[in-house]
Amino acid sequence: MEALVREGVDTIFGYPGGVVLPLYDEMLNWPQVRHVLVRHEQCAAHMADGYARATGRVGVCLATSGPGATNLVTGIATAIMDSIPMVAITGNVNTWAIGKDAFQETDIQGITIPITKHNYLVTDVEDLPGVLAEAFYLANTGRKGPVLVDIPKDIFIAKTAAEFPEKIERRGYRIPGAAPAEQVSTVAKLINEADRPVIIAGAGVLHSEAMAELLQLAETANLPVINSLLGLGSIPRNHELSLGMMGMHGEATGTLAVQDADLVLGIGIRYDDRLTGNTSAFAEKAKLVHFDIDPSEVGKTVRNTAFVIGDIKASLIELNKLVKKRAHPTWWKQIREWQSTYPLVVPEGKFLSRTVLKALNEHTRGEAIVSTDVGQHQMWTAQFYKITKPHNFLSSGGLGTMGYGFPAAMGAKFARPDDEVWAVVGDGGFQMTLQELQTAVEYGCNVKICLLNNGFLGMVRQWQELFYDNRHSHVAMGSPDFGKLAEAYGVEFFRCSRVEELDETIESARAHVGPVLVEFVVEMEENVYPMVGPGAGNSSVVMDPALTHVEPEAVGAFETTHAAVKL
Amino acid sequence: MSSATVQQHTIVVLVQNETGTINRLVSMFRRRGFSLACFSAGDCEIPGFSRLTLVVNGDDEALRQCLRQLDKLIDVVEVTDLKPNECVARELALIRVEPKDADREAVYGIVSEFMAKVPKATGTGIIAEIAAELETIERFIEALKPYNVAEVVRTGTIAVKVSD
Repeated sequence: MEALVREGVDTIFGYPGGVVLPLYDEMLNWPQVRHVLVRHEQCAAHMADGYARATGRVGVCLATSGPGATNLVTGIATAIMDSIPMVAITGNVNTWAIGKDAFQETDIQGITIPITKHNYLVTDVEDLPGVLAEAFYLANTGRKGPVLVDIPKDIFIAKTAAEFPEKIERRGYRIPGAAPAEQVSTVAKLINEADRPVIIAGAGVLHSEAMAELLQLAETANLPVINSLLGLGSIPRNHELSLGMMGMHGEATGTLAVQDADLVLGIGIRYDDRLTGNTSAFAEKAKLVHFDIDPSEVGKTVRNTAFVIGDIKASLIELNKLVKKRAHPTWWKQIREWQSTYPLVVPEGKFLSRTVLKALNEHTRGEAIVSTDVGQHQMWTAQFYKITKPHNFLSSGGLGTMGYGFPAAMGAKFARPDDEVWAVVGDGGFQMTLQELQTAVEYGCNVKICLLNNGFLGMVRQWQELFYDNRHSHVAMGSPDFGKLAEAYGVEFFRCSRVEELDETIESARAHVGPVLVEFVVEMEENVYPMVGPGAGNSSVVMDPALTHVEPEAVGAFETTHAAVKL
Repeated sequence: MSSATVQQHTIVVLVQNETGTINRLVSMFRRRGFSLACFSAGDCEIPGFSRLTLVVNGDDEALRQCLRQLDKLIDVVEVTDLKPNECVARELALIRVEPKDADREAVYGIVSEFMAKVPKATGTGIIAEIAAELETIERFIEALKPYNVAEVVRTGTIAVKVSD
């Protein structure tokens, strides 16, 4: 407990059990640390993740041995994929019982090796202060990520006079500063000479707190700023240089601009498959530059012309000294044309998820913290919720974890109690973690849940429609009566299925203090567009059929056949 | 990404010993699909650290990725990709041969030809020990094959960099 307090931990998300009893007993002596008792350990990890994303501080979760520890696994895997600083503490059986298949024993260290930045099994109490200090240090430096510390019961009980280290030093572990000067000057020259440059800004900008430096770069050279899913918030979406998200379901302008660009500056992105589409057809006219803190990202998925390896903020400060003012009028004219030809649309006459999210954005002026699950609603949120502030968009981008949205929103609310927090979830994902309604009630966690109920696993249904001849296989999703469910938990509830009730419903939910579940009963079969078909190149982006002025061949037709589908 | 030719590289890695260190390293190879041809580990000149020699198959891009992913592991302190001309690489093999009585002399003859040793011999079997480069070991085993090779145990390559 002393280690946690020293690290500035104010909240831990956990669930007690046999081997962590000594820690839970000691917890009573440390009232300055709030423990949030979850209803499933997976949600402890997601709450710690939401806490971390909303603050940039390390999120902490705690579970007992065996099933408690294994229940954390999905949350830890979610965190490693998105480089989220997290410390997961697990109990284990007594050191002398390890390896004997004792009750509730599991090899959580072995299990989590591939999904942690680092992990520990503490077998000597003398090591404990150093290990815990190092775990926090590793989690939140360099390329951030989850660190797991597995502590046997007898180590929890044992006493030690071992000192906490003043400074963490590990051979071979260096915290990168600015990239080498020659890398920076090479890229500055590319920027100064480019005619059709774009920035793709990712979560690395947020991790490095480089938002101001990004904006300075973009404004100096008049560069369009496109975002990856997790980069949303690195530039205010209402800024004139911001083009929103690109990729499989990104806004068409960003996707097309990258395809036509002569220089792509990928800043804190992974050039992941949902962003690039088929890599051999990605930005073929462009020189690709990769800014990343992690050297192992260079050339992992695409061929780079140049790279800037180091802390993004420090590197951008150096780069900004060398970048010249540019206007790029022809390029911007083209971009504005795409924007007016291929806008995001919300067709009228139906009650759509898009209708709801557009309204939610307007009511909250893009200023709320928004946490999503995974699927159609996630993509629509990325499109229609115009995130204006950093650390306000929480989503499982890499692992794509359904059930993430609600607990992560709670984690964010515990971290930033004064901010408005919305979880945007679907009927599928919400049913994976809705037991945390009880946790929300007990702690008075003022989270608003925007439940978009379309009675389907919408994204799966969309793929079955488009790529499997509309053969619906196990994709219809039954749900309980959410009104009765909310009542049973004691959660305020609203249901809305008509445009006419939308504004009032959202305002009523916002006005209520405490957890609110708002069920929007939306159109069942609505597809997310634009869409780059799986395995296709980004140039073959398929536009929304609702864009009636667009030539028919660009609308609703996929080159990708069933047989060619590549996941 | 490319159709570049597959090559074999010898990589020497210095690691800080902790619970799970070897597991973590080998797990990375499995997870990322790198091809690990052989692996050997032992204590080194620094207490609490080990030096590992890995032989990895792959094209240039795979190898670059592999080196960076190794370097990223927290317990990995140093990663060196050794070119054949800048290191000495050896492997130790212990081979139990069970020749007919009439062939024992021939086996001793091969051992002597390869400058190998016989640390132990019984009435039925001869243990041959050789520390040499990979090709020499392969030739040695080939030469012994007609005399009933019962068991071969090899350490895998270890390598050390020569001074500049």
